[in-house]
Amino acid sequence: MSESSLSIITSTILSLEMPYSERLCIRRTVYRGGDGPRAAIVAGIHGDELEGLYVCQLLADWLEQLGRKNPAGLLGSVELYPAMNPLGLDTLTRAIPVFDTDLNRYFPGSQSGDLPKRIAHAAMENLSGAALVIDIHASNIYLREIPQVRINTDFADSLVPLAQCLNLDLVWLHGAMTVLEATIAHSLNSIGTRCLVVEMGVGMRITPSYCRQLMSGILTLWKDLGVLAPDVEVPTCDHFPLIADDSNVHYLNAPTSGLFVPVIEHWTDVLKGQLLGTIVSPLQGGILAEVRSPVNGTLFTLREYPLVYEGSLMARVMAGKGRKP
Amino acid sequence: MSSRDLVQMTAPLREEFTIPCHELGPAAPHPAVSLVSGLHGDEINGLYILARLADFLKGVENGDHPEMRLVQRVLIIPAVNVLGTNTLRRAWPFDQSDQNRMFPGNQMGETTQRIAYTVLEATRKSQYRVDLHSSNLYFEELPQVRIYEPSSEERESARLFGLPAIMEHAVSPVFTTTLMYAWKYWPGQNFLLQVGQAGSIQLAHCQQVFRGLVSFLEKIGVLEGVEMAEADQESIYFTKKNSVRIYADRAGMFVSDKSLGKWVREGQELGFIYDSFNGNIRTKIIAPASGLLTGIRRQPMLFEGDLLVRICTKPS
Repeated sequence: MSESSLSIITSTILSLEMPYSERLCIRRTVYRGGDGPRAAIVAGIHGDELEGLYVCQLLADWLEQLGRKNPAGLLGSVELYPAMNPLGLDTLTRAIPVFDTDLNRYFPGSQSGDLPKRIAHAAMENLSGAALVIDIHASNIYLREIPQVRINTDFADSLVPLAQCLNLDLVWLHGAMTVLEATIAHSLNSIGTRCLVVEMGVGMRITPSYCRQLMSGILTLWKDLGVLAPDVEVPTCDHFPLIADDSNVHYLNAPTSGLFVPVIEHWTDVLKGQLLGTIVSPLQGGILAEVRSPVNGTLFTLREYPLVYEGSLMARVMAGKGRKP
Repeated sequence: MSSRDLVQMTAPLREEFTIPCHELGPAAPHPAVSLVSGLHGDEINGLYILARLADFLKGVENGDHPEMRLVQRVLIIPAVNVLGTNTLRRAWPFDQSDQNRMFPGNQMGETTQRIAYTVLEATRKSQYRVDLHSSNLYFEELPQVRIYEPSSEERESARLFGLPAIMEHAVSPVFTTTLMYAWKYWPGQNFLLQVGQAGSIQLAHCQQVFRGLVSFLEKIGVLEGVEMAEADQESIYFTKKNSVRIYADRAGMFVSDKSLGKWVREGQELGFIYDSFNGNIRTKIIAPASGLLTGIRRQPMLFEGDLLVRICTKPS
């Protein structure tokens, strides 16, 4: 391979027979430049989360252009895995269809065994040893999230400095939870392959501005890591994250069931006691409950799906302005 | 009152809903035995068994069986996931969350966390706690007692159900949010009964487990005056190393005429995987060891790697 070439190859990392006639394939596209560090983007682990698919598309376009204009700019290689759960994406299903299981509770998986285990294993085999993996999630269909990185406190030391360069608005450090040990991020971080989890937007939709914001951060971080050459021009980063942890995040769960109607925009600063929305009754009219902020802070999660059951999460507010890094 | 509502909750548009339970036997600060089923709305065997058991124990209280006496308190929750049971859905239908991944729950949290909290509060102080399950829509399980990193008392008591198999399991991190795991924090004994397959009632399995529960209640001194016929066979105690699993080496259609609870010989044919387009045989499934057939796939459509059969070999 000459120094100034950039190869683009789409290949299949796992191919399995389906019950009738078809095959299920997990595919990736690899952009290979020099022998520098390897970076990867993973998306579509949940079939109802589409934001990461658009980020992959934006990055694919950008890399293809780099290949034409400045192929030497790619010092390392980039792998894009836009659809880890292709059957879920193709059938509008969050879980893996048929198996009805959350792929992100099946890691590290195994080479034999059922489909979810094999997908998890194939992902681990291909991603281990990368300089950085970014696993992009899009909340779910119920909640809208500002662009953020979520980090298990066990891995905070190595991940927080990277997360702060990602051009996102929040870094949320959460305590270790045993159930999350079966996620792709925990499994990769446990074997020394750094993996950042991005959460942004809402399920079954794309938020193009968030996707472009994250793309700028990813390209900047790749440059910092030496995947891209220092002279490569990347879009500017103008977002700096607040830091949240379990001590300053307040959850607002619905006190009763009904239709939640917000009166405030997502991602705004709110005051203690400020009205965020109401739960109303479609049957009899009238307001069943008012939803008010418990603290001064930033509204970083807001319910998108209007019906609520008693207990449904409607919003999360981060107290104060968060701790500046 | 022999039945009451564990919790009353609102719903967005339909009536308020509850989790009804039966409380039978003499009043006590907490039940001696708690029996729970229907964490998954599509597991109907457990629902049937516990509803019929409640009817039977009510009959005992009402003197329909004069030789029997219910001498300690029994709590029965036939269905925890009530909305799932009514809409034939495994998960909590509003957000697809698995009710058995919400423990220990939270009184102020998500709906399913509140339900989990309520169920744990109602059951945690019982000396004996039993959770009934039915695999899933695809797989049939021979009625069996499952115990998880058990105490020696649990190992002993597991035999009292008189079911054909007892299986000892490790506790994996994936299961820390289950009811079984939450129970283990509290003094007492915990059992999971795995019965058949979800989506329908397998009557023979249900009858066997019904007798098993009555026998268990008698042997732990909760129900007096029961005369049980001798069990057809001894419970056999299996650990992971006695368990032989056969996975599909090819996708296609799996067809078998075998039934659970039978002993199979090494080398015996157990079924076939067919190419579901061409119809030809792709794989003849052969028993890799002699043993008791304790689990078999009933959904024919296969992906490569699906579990087909579990055989438990006789412990030496």
